[in-house]
Amino acid sequence: MTAYLQAIGIVSLIYALLALGLNLQFGLTRLVNFGVVAFFAIGAYTSALLALAGVPLLLSFAAATVLAGISALPLGLLSLRLREDYLAIVTLGFSEAVRITLQQEEWLTKGVQGLPGIPKVFASLGPAGSDTALFFILVAATALVAWGTLRLTRSPLGRLLRAIGDDEPALMALGKNPTKFKVQIFMVGAALSGLAGAFYAHFITFISPEQFLPLVTFYVWMGLIMGGSGSVRGALGGAVLLMIFLEGSRFIKDFIPGVSEVQMASVRLAVVGLALILVTMYRPNGLFGKTTT
Amino acid sequence: MIQFLNLLINGITEGLVVALPALAMTLVMGVNRFPNAATGDFMTTGAFMAVGAQLLGVQSLVLATFLAALITAMLSAASYELIFKKLARQPMIASLLAAIGLGFLLRSVISFFAGHDQRTFNVPLVRAWNFDGIRILPTDLAIAGAALGCLAVVFILLYRTSFGRQLRAVSDNPDLARASGIRARKLMIGLWLLVGVLSAIGGVLLGMKAVVMPELGWDHLIPAFAAMVLGGIGSPVGAVIGALLMSVAQELSVPLLGPSYKLVLSFGVLALVLMVRPAGLMGRVDLIR
Amino acid sequence: MDRRSLLKLSSAAAALQMLPGFVFAQATGSFRVGSLCPVTGAGSPYGPGMQQAIRMAVDEVNAAGGAAGVKLELFSEDSQTKPDAAVLAAKKLIEVNKVQALLGTWASGVTLAVMPLTDAAGIIEMNTSGAPAISTLDTKDLVWRYQATNDRFGQAFAEICKKNGYKRPATMAFNNASGLGNTQGFTKAWEAAGGKVVAHVTYEPNRPSYRSELQKILDAKPDVIVTGSYLPDTTIILREWFQSGTPVKWIMPGWAASPDLVKALGNEVTEGIISVDSVSNEKSKSYAHYDELYTKATGKSGSTNVYAAMTYDMVVVLALAIEAAGPGATTEQVNAKIREVGNPGGTPVFTFAEGKALLAKKEKINYEGASSKLDFDKYGDVTPDFGVYVIEKGEFVRKDVVSIPPGV
Repeated sequence: MTAYLQAIGIVSLIYALLALGLNLQFGLTRLVNFGVVAFFAIGAYTSALLALAGVPLLLSFAAATVLAGISALPLGLLSLRLREDYLAIVTLGFSEAVRITLQQEEWLTKGVQGLPGIPKVFASLGPAGSDTALFFILVAATALVAWGTLRLTRSPLGRLLRAIGDDEPALMALGKNPTKFKVQIFMVGAALSGLAGAFYAHFITFISPEQFLPLVTFYVWMGLIMGGSGSVRGALGGAVLLMIFLEGSRFIKDFIPGVSEVQMASVRLAVVGLALILVTMYRPNGLFGKTTT
Repeated sequence: MIQFLNLLINGITEGLVVALPALAMTLVMGVNRFPNAATGDFMTTGAFMAVGAQLLGVQSLVLATFLAALITAMLSAASYELIFKKLARQPMIASLLAAIGLGFLLRSVISFFAGHDQRTFNVPLVRAWNFDGIRILPTDLAIAGAALGCLAVVFILLYRTSFGRQLRAVSDNPDLARASGIRARKLMIGLWLLVGVLSAIGGVLLGMKAVVMPELGWDHLIPAFAAMVLGGIGSPVGAVIGALLMSVAQELSVPLLGPSYKLVLSFGVLALVLMVRPAGLMGRVDLIR
Repeated sequence: MDRRSLLKLSSAAAALQMLPGFVFAQATGSFRVGSLCPVTGAGSPYGPGMQQAIRMAVDEVNAAGGAAGVKLELFSEDSQTKPDAAVLAAKKLIEVNKVQALLGTWASGVTLAVMPLTDAAGIIEMNTSGAPAISTLDTKDLVWRYQATNDRFGQAFAEICKKNGYKRPATMAFNNASGLGNTQGFTKAWEAAGGKVVAHVTYEPNRPSYRSELQKILDAKPDVIVTGSYLPDTTIILREWFQSGTPVKWIMPGWAASPDLVKALGNEVTEGIISVDSVSNEKSKSYAHYDELYTKATGKSGSTNVYAAMTYDMVVVLALAIEAAGPGATTEQVNAKIREVGNPGGTPVFTFAEGKALLAKKEKINYEGASSKLDFDKYGDVTPDFGVYVIEKGEFVRKDVVSIPPGV
């Protein structure tokens, strides 16, 4: 039982990292990034390919984070010119472009066959020990990122960023140039997604392009909004909530008799959909967000 | 040359089918200011309703589609009344996520009752007309014709009736529209009924070309969204042009890039266009930051 | 974090903790089987049927008195045809339900992601995936593959082409591991025999039309098109091909060229299509028996879902292995009996009840399954014969059987 809960914990923390990254981008600077999964994928593949080539995990994780961050530069620059709904589709398109490229360039990524046998962290501890180690590393990493984000939010830079989100023309009138900051924040958010991707790859031990569909991005958004965007608490709480819905709905079938096992899959999807609708309608600030707008 | 023409014809037919949901999305986007991610699942609903009608004995596909459009329109209007109206004051993201949730809900109800098997429409299969290597499939012609007809009706509605005029007024400037006394509620219901009909017909046409499965609409959501943005959000003409342009570009790129990079190409085109015209092809400049 | 949110967060966490406690009575005296089929996702045309086949097999075994004195207890989860969802589902089955065998993984990605978990837990895994990596990564010999590998399928296709005298094959592959694997296996075998594949196209899933892809193939004027495809895309491609009016032959795997394909397209379009499937003896009792049960359970013929026949066999083989290992055997001991009950060297049996009766008399058995004769090679992969069916007037007529030597 504990191993199962630990696995859920690991996945929740991976989603938490993704949500924290998105929270930086959207929560602070109102950048609508619908391409989260692109950086997730870049991080996962970078770390996996390097690790399979023998590179020590610490380095491969670092490379994954850095590469994901850098790859966000072109999008970051583009984002300056586009209104939020236009940016949404462009970032979405970028994530699909990344996925398709990963799928087609077999010489690099083994294409649709995927990469099996990715080494686990601290593999010498055996599978159970490795998962426990990964769990604690993730807790530490998430805590660190959460703390870092909080410090950033409360710093002068953070206040400036909140200002960008809220009133850009005024800022520019004051002579402040938000451009550089926006791009930097975009890249930091992407780097966090890349780090999450590395954790993911070394946990599942098998990655393939079809695991990096836009649906992942939607889930992260769901988590962030349900939790309450703009706050670290919201990002963390949202990730937990997301997991409760995605995994918890699995257990519903034990409570509803007379429904075939096949139909339960539909019920699960219905529960997630209904939850989304209800939370956005009745708790617009999210369940863990600030109580004032 | 022949290959080029054949690819062009493919692109136009696909583009016309994508044009319907793209139009549905752009109408909602222009007036309600959020991307209606449930459009895809409304398409699926329409397709399944038509399949159901045929299973219950309705022979004519036209009649089945009519019934399907009716039901989907009511569902669509209901979704506005119950969900999206209440979210009107929230940021766009909230409505978008609620729409995604609605899509999940629709899909799950359909698959609960109809299962995951693929379904097809009872459409007679006819051989293609072959003009010296240029192939035109009569079914595709029928589909294209139906799509064009649909689009024509919508455009007449939008540009020749007071309903359409008011809709466009609200889309251009909601505050002014409210001040001038346009009755928003009836207008909205009318819009969402229209959107439902468009989605349903789009779903049936898509189902005729492909197969009907619960994932039908969701899989075609992103191309429709991209087409809407390319054409300029809020512009009905733009949505149709965007859809056609994207599909044709995709097909023409196949000899060069292969079929798998089709989607990448359309996004590349989209990014390029937006860099030059940040509001899309026909969008208005004052809508950007 | 203020108190309110802390309260909310902890009650949510507490609720999650509570749920599983209700439902998992640790049933001793039963052999726990987990099923992880693709009920939703890309495998959804097959997953529900696969899951039901497992359920009906479990019920059948229990009705016959169970295996080695215990009943089979079934826990089902949906893999969603996604490796990450499958990992969590597998963890739940392994850690919470404590299953001793995990059956029914379909997509290669799912099997590859789940294998490390089942190996670590020392439990049996049975799948219908095609990727070659599954054989090489099966270091503990706990993984059993009930579907011919992509390579074997490709070789069967090549053999059939040769027998039919085709000279100019083209290939069309669904862009995933299995689809591509099948056509690549074919190309490898065909070229090794000195032939040439005139054209190939890999097409994307979930497209409304494949006209340009099909056109590229037809422009190369092939005499036969070999596909690695699935039902929905095959339906679209064939419909467009028929309407184009170009004569060409088709060879497809049995999960694509199935009765559902005929239902969708009608007799005229599907006339003459060659459907290839792993098969046991013609008119085999095990197939007829499975078909009867499947039709009763789902209302559809067993031939509409070749994977369901495989998952049905998984349960029967497992139950027979449990029976052969005797009461109180460990999972490892049961695992060791799988080749014994499936491979040649014993009296052929065609149902669980038959096998159980003979095992009671201490006789060796050889279960000839509904999906294939179930002879497992050293990797735990089946080495089936392939049935070559031609669709004539909407019916599947068996024309030939192709054998690929196991050593290949």
